[in-house]
Amino acid sequence: MSRRVYLDHNASTPVHPEVLAEMLPYFSEAFGNPSSVHAFGRDARAGVDTARERVARFLRVAADEIVFTSGGTESDNFGVKGLALARGRGHLITSKIEHHAVLRTCEWLESQGFAVTYLNVDELGMVDSDEVRRAIRPDTIGISIMHANSEVGTIQPLAAIGAIARERGVPFHVDAVQTFGKIDIDVTAANVSALSFSGHKIYGPKGVAGLWVRKGTRLVSVQHGGEHERRRRAGTENVPGIVGLGKAVEVRARDMHDEARRVTALRDRLWEGIRGSVPDVRLNGHPTERLPGTVSVSYRGVESESVVLGLDLKGIGVSAGSACTSGSVEPSYVLRAMGVPLEWAMGAVRHSLGRSTSAEDIDYVVAAVTPIVRKLRAALPVSAA
Amino acid sequence: MRYSPALLEHFLNPRNAGLMREPDGVGADEYEGCGDLARFFLRVRDGRVSEVRFQTYGCGPTIAAASAASERVTGRSLEALLDLKPQEVEDAVDGLPEDRKHAADVVAGALRAAALDALRRQVGGPS
Repeated sequence: MSRRVYLDHNASTPVHPEVLAEMLPYFSEAFGNPSSVHAFGRDARAGVDTARERVARFLRVAADEIVFTSGGTESDNFGVKGLALARGRGHLITSKIEHHAVLRTCEWLESQGFAVTYLNVDELGMVDSDEVRRAIRPDTIGISIMHANSEVGTIQPLAAIGAIARERGVPFHVDAVQTFGKIDIDVTAANVSALSFSGHKIYGPKGVAGLWVRKGTRLVSVQHGGEHERRRRAGTENVPGIVGLGKAVEVRARDMHDEARRVTALRDRLWEGIRGSVPDVRLNGHPTERLPGTVSVSYRGVESESVVLGLDLKGIGVSAGSACTSGSVEPSYVLRAMGVPLEWAMGAVRHSLGRSTSAEDIDYVVAAVTPIVRKLRAALPVSAA
Repeated sequence: MRYSPALLEHFLNPRNAGLMREPDGVGADEYEGCGDLARFFLRVRDGRVSEVRFQTYGCGPTIAAASAASERVTGRSLEALLDLKPQEVEDAVDGLPEDRKHAADVVAGALRAAALDALRRQVGGPS
């Protein structure tokens, strides 16, 4: 195996060297509990405070509106459950292509007596803001729509949805785990009430994330205990992680615009390369309103895990859009919601590019995938019959 | 690595993949849970399998299992092929992960069906 190419940045990213350097002292020197009054604790507290300010500056919000959590899943649980349980009963609006952290939370809330509307998306993976408006009922207590989808990268019309939320006085939670630190987020213009973000998608460590909650938004805690995070999220802070998240955000603020331009060009080079050398392919997601580094490609008639395995053997890391597990195949629920036909959905492969991706990497992937798909199709009953 | 070297080798270089013109027996099997399917074509001489070709749709292990099995059963009598067990197919790729055992089921099922088809054609008269 000569070359290794990582194209799975939507799953996770390597910790940036500047981030790691900033974190290290908090494991061994400033290791105190931030709640302790002594100097050891104060040193740790200072690290957490700095991180909070960095995140706040990036989002252009107040530092005391940031709550650190253990991951994007916890942030989504906190955002959606927190809004719903603070109101006791009522109706929520979300979409069919949300992350499971939101979908499963909504399903649980249904079991607790809440009503939920799961909005359809169009063939490009876009939520229609008019559908949001039509779904609102007198008892609607919250809207939760992701900023961009992790599988296909389509970016949702947050400003239009937020305007409706404002007009109808409904709190608006946004899962921004895939966009935070990659593209601009304007929580004021989009009238967002709460926003989930994560560290390990932006070259920070795993196990740390956050929820921004607009001042005045009623939200109950889902984790109880001590008085951490202004009584919003109990538990001793993950100090090195939070420090790392703060540094990652600072680095992203510096690098993200240049990188988005560069990665977008590589993204388009990848799709053009695949389209030019492999017949019967399609791009999933919006052609332009899409995350800079995300390319979901469907190979008709081919099973995506075979492509992933073939690429893995060439040192390339991508992810399958369908998962074949014992007893059932799951063509991605996102692609199904977009109405992608089964024979295409089964052959979906997601490539997500990042800061280390080079033009040579892209050309290597294009050259590698072409014979893999040809070989898979050669043994295929459907096309040969 | 999740898969054995033998499995990966067959996946990368499948033997006997493709169609066969005027086969003496054809059989297919499908694993409904995930849509994996395999189709085998047999050439028969003196009651024994002289040539095998296959087509598959499925994850890597299914392709590899079909390739390995096609080599394993060449030369076998049709009667013996009717008894082909999934375990033998699995052994031919040095084992399968628990959640991919169905690859061996599909391949063994398709080969048994092809053997049955070939036997029926022999009984059915001149071909």
